[in-house]
Amino acid sequence: MEKVIDVQSLRKDFKSHSSRSGLKGAFRDLFTRNYKVISAVKDISFTVNEGEMVGYIGENGAGKSTSIKMLTGILTPTSGTVRVNGMDPHKEREKFVRSIGVVFGQRSQLWWDIAVQESFRLLKKVYNVPDDVYNEHMNHVIESLDIGPLLDKPVRKLSLGQRMRCELAAALLHNPKLLFLDEPTIGLDVLVKLKIRNFLKEINEKYKTTILLTTHDLTDIEALCDRVVMLDEGQIIYDGKLAKLRSNWGEGKQIEFQFGEDVNKEKLVPLLNELEAEWTIGDRPNVFVANVVNEEHVISEVIGRVVAAHRITDIKIHEISTEEIIRNIYEEGMLNG
Amino acid sequence: MKHATIFFLYVSQYMKTRLTYRVDMAMEIMSDLLFQAVNLIFILVVFGHTNMLSGWSRDEIIFIYGFFLVPFAIFGAFFNIWDFNERYIVKGEMDRILTRPVHSLFQIILERMELESLFGMITGIAVMVYAGSRLDLTLSWYDPFVFLMMVIGGAFVYAGIFVLLASISFWSDSRTSIMPMMYNIGNYGRYPVDIYNKVIRFILTWILPFAFVGVYPSAYFLGREEWYGYAFLTPVIGFAFFGFAIFMWNIGVTKYRGAGN
Repeated sequence: MEKVIDVQSLRKDFKSHSSRSGLKGAFRDLFTRNYKVISAVKDISFTVNEGEMVGYIGENGAGKSTSIKMLTGILTPTSGTVRVNGMDPHKEREKFVRSIGVVFGQRSQLWWDIAVQESFRLLKKVYNVPDDVYNEHMNHVIESLDIGPLLDKPVRKLSLGQRMRCELAAALLHNPKLLFLDEPTIGLDVLVKLKIRNFLKEINEKYKTTILLTTHDLTDIEALCDRVVMLDEGQIIYDGKLAKLRSNWGEGKQIEFQFGEDVNKEKLVPLLNELEAEWTIGDRPNVFVANVVNEEHVISEVIGRVVAAHRITDIKIHEISTEEIIRNIYEEGMLNG
Repeated sequence: MKHATIFFLYVSQYMKTRLTYRVDMAMEIMSDLLFQAVNLIFILVVFGHTNMLSGWSRDEIIFIYGFFLVPFAIFGAFFNIWDFNERYIVKGEMDRILTRPVHSLFQIILERMELESLFGMITGIAVMVYAGSRLDLTLSWYDPFVFLMMVIGGAFVYAGIFVLLASISFWSDSRTSIMPMMYNIGNYGRYPVDIYNKVIRFILTWILPFAFVGVYPSAYFLGREEWYGYAFLTPVIGFAFFGFAIFMWNIGVTKYRGAGN
């Protein structure tokens, strides 16, 4: 299969000067400056094949944006190699950006004051898309994203959800082989999110468009991506199947008991003797949570023993969410989960 | 060719949005005209007290002012990117520019153009015609072409200096007050350089060559043969400065750090 993105030991250092304190320090800063080198991205390597949908996740400051900006040719890498669509993004920038589409959720690609279709018309010229290709492709995009009625409105009059769909259409105007989406669903309601997700799935199947998606909303990733690349402090700490991540880290279940009488931890602890389970105190009075391994006999044994010993008013069983798994990974700082 | 079609598409979009804000546009043109009138009155007031400034008569200085307005109008319409640092570097709009397949400076020029400024050309030509008729200047058939070259050269001098200043933002995004200062220095080019001392004259000729926007090219039309050498250097200096500015811009783009988020 063809490699769309090929990144080898990619690194980006930022030099920033730290100012000394006080007036005397300010004077010294005038002549000699203290520079601190901060590495935002530390020698990461990964490849993405054609047609893949990859979730690119990490906390704020983990190096996500910086690495995406190097992949899109906005920033020049300090060292390492990047090949995207067979090109070196920042060296052949103008030629390269024709082959990618970019949506930055917090930054508009469209012109604020003019109607959406006028923006499309300008972009069509900028990307030099021939009329027939444009008509065939864009009619389909406009229909799937249901933005037909919005085309003659200026962007500033659109709601966030409407604007986001138009942004997506604008990014796909030249039918790029590779699509970078940075927070595409930030602040959107559930219905719009679903629409956008379905659309992304559809173009991925239809055109084999490769999609690299960053988001804080893990439900997007769960809905779309088989594979996740997880960054922390500028390094890749996990690269693999989302399902594997879940099975390695999300093994346990949580059973939440609401007791009908006053209980305390001392009374409950003996109940879990010889079982792979432990108690944590819940967030309300008389609520305790048993964290257990995901095995049928353990779960039923725990429930059986607790119910036999105490009066219960409610039981809930939770599966650990991807979000919690990821939070756990970050807290433990595991490498190569 | 592609650039030209993109240019005209932007222009037509620009006109469309501007026409929806008609009052704004009228106000802007009015304030431009007022600003030019004040400058003209200043020259008249100075000459209320004297007839000659270092051998230049009142009408000659008015002619220089008129000429200056023409390249300045072109600069104002297309290269007035004084807010580049804040808009594109600090706010990170440069990210968006860099994801499009057209040269970044060209895109910024298109996005920031203010075509109203072109009205300044009309004022400038009117002022030149007035002063020229009082000076009994005659035109040869090739003078309009020379004029065109001089205007383009002068506009490129201005553009070059401001693009260079904007490029500094790629290295340091701290806010500076260089831009407003540069507008003031630019105004010195409207007066004959021999009224200044040697150092300033040298700076205005070779370092911040604003003299090539006003005095030097005007000297040609005023028939001041002692300045002809400088006059014909105008397009050369213009292209050299603008070329150098684009060169530095291109280096700057590779140093772009992006807005932190």
